[in-house]
Amino acid sequence: MPEVQAEVRIRPLDELDIGSIVRIDERITGAYRPDLWEQRIGYYLRRDPEASRVAESGGRVVGFMLGDVRAGEFGIEEPGGWIERFGIDPDYRGRDLRTRLVSAILAHLRERGATKVRTLVDRKDAGVTGFLTALGFTPSPLQALERHIEPRESP
Amino acid sequence: MNVAEVTLEKKYHRAVEHWRRHWLPDYETLLAQWDRYFPQDEPFCLCAKMECGTPDRVAVGEHAGEAKRLAPDELSEEEARHLLAIIRAQASTEFGSIQQHSGTLARAQDDEDRFWVLRVMAEELRHGYQMFHLLLSQDWSKAAAGVRGEEMVEEILSMGTGSHVLDAFNLEYDSFVDNVCFAALVDRVGKYQLTMQKVCAYKPMADSMPPMLREEAFHLAAGVIPMRRWAKRAAQGEGFITMQGLQRSINKWYPRALEMFGDERGGDSNVRMGFKDMKNRQAQDLYIEEVRRMIRDINARYLRARFPGYTPEKSDQVLDEVERSRGRHDGVAFEDLLRLPDRRFFRRKGEPAWTMVGLEGESFAEVDDYLRHLAQRLPEAYLAGGDMKRYAETLRLVVSGQLGVEDAIRKMPRLKRVGGNCPCSRAVRWVVEEPAS
Ligand SMILES: [Fe+2]
Ligand SMILES: [Fe+2]
Repeated sequence: MPEVQAEVRIRPLDELDIGSIVRIDERITGAYRPDLWEQRIGYYLRRDPEASRVAESGGRVVGFMLGDVRAGEFGIEEPGGWIERFGIDPDYRGRDLRTRLVSAILAHLRERGATKVRTLVDRKDAGVTGFLTALGFTPSPLQALERHIEPRESP
Repeated sequence: MNVAEVTLEKKYHRAVEHWRRHWLPDYETLLAQWDRYFPQDEPFCLCAKMECGTPDRVAVGEHAGEAKRLAPDELSEEEARHLLAIIRAQASTEFGSIQQHSGTLARAQDDEDRFWVLRVMAEELRHGYQMFHLLLSQDWSKAAAGVRGEEMVEEILSMGTGSHVLDAFNLEYDSFVDNVCFAALVDRVGKYQLTMQKVCAYKPMADSMPPMLREEAFHLAAGVIPMRRWAKRAAQGEGFITMQGLQRSINKWYPRALEMFGDERGGDSNVRMGFKDMKNRQAQDLYIEEVRRMIRDINARYLRARFPGYTPEKSDQVLDEVERSRGRHDGVAFEDLLRLPDRRFFRRKGEPAWTMVGLEGESFAEVDDYLRHLAQRLPEAYLAGGDMKRYAETLRLVVSGQLGVEDAIRKMPRLKRVGGNCPCSRAVRWVVEEPAS
């Protein structure tokens, strides 16, 4: 894979990245989900195209991170950043792309006046949790809670 | 990223609102449904948005390193006139595209597609408003020897499809496919222009660009995403829109989009005066590569939908093979895929103006052969319209030597008389805010 050596550039997401993101997701999960990504990328582009970034090497997108600034959710009034999805082409792992993507997004969130950035992780996913901890993420006082909804249940 | 929002003086604001009631009658519906289609997004604001904290120094051209100009009087007369022409053209595109979109908007098959285009239209209105802010918030008359911003605004508001500055904005849409292909191809040129103008030596213009560019990112998505979905449905034999239908619309808009960059040999004064950071051909080359990527991406979407069992690698391989051989693969013909027209195809401005070059770059010697070639590749409704008729007449004159290429370039489009475009026949005079009678 000679292009692994090529220089990596981080830039804002655009609409022509959909195909590449679908492909990275497919390599990671084994599922081809273009409809999902068309819908999601439409969302991120209309919200704030600079809050999401891709990593490009030799003209090919090899990683992505989708983020957003929101206010008024969960009773938090001040604008806060969210990083919601990311993926790195398995051939490009171990090259610190996630760190570079996060840094680019943090710089943008700072410019937009956000003082906090949040994300949700699966506690069982030690890899992702470890990576986020290394980047300075700490457990939040806000805790994600969930419960099962039975198909037919009286209220 | 800090943005200051500015509103125009009341009479001008009202004039834009009045224009909007004619050309964007669904505006209120859009605002009422905003949260449904764009949940959590900032509400729409009809205002000028000025980015704060952009560079203070001129980045390119003969004034590089000097302080950016903050007022028209700091520009030379040549610069002021040149910049006003850029602002006028930009404003004309914003209002012009709304007029075009409004013609076929109701024909969208899908509500989401329709609301996306409606949002694009509202944002184009804001972009036009932004250009008006540049024309009206400062006095240009001294710098540009008597040119008054107010008169320019009045002229722009009275333009219609047929009297706009650039040809791409003088063609009617034939179907909702045009709404979408236009966003994917023509708004993409807009993205290039705005990106180049981020360096503008006139700071209020530079400050206007980043907020417009953020909105433009969505406009491109409003073009490309529906095209991808249509390609998928076409592959599955569903829906009314075929790949050939998409191709015909691309063939209609792509040549006009290329011409929006200006003559391939020009653009030096933009760079010299520090208004843009690329010359025409340089920007056009980048644009062409981007459209090539877009077409490749849509074709890949088509093939994967057609052959769900293929891996991405296999699908790529088939795409390369069919493109190279122009042959078939398991029922898919080369003609079922989209392709990038030659940059000289169907041109009437710029370096290849009035040459007879086909979609694949082949040359034609006879006008009739060429017109037949075009007839097989352009939307049927467009072929029947006035633009095509004028084009064919002019082409005959050029080929027979009765009309020089330069004169033919000036002849297209034949401008309608400006004015009187407001359907309520009160034109766009300022104080039009009486209750509708
Ligand atoms: Fe625009
Ligand atoms: Fe646009």
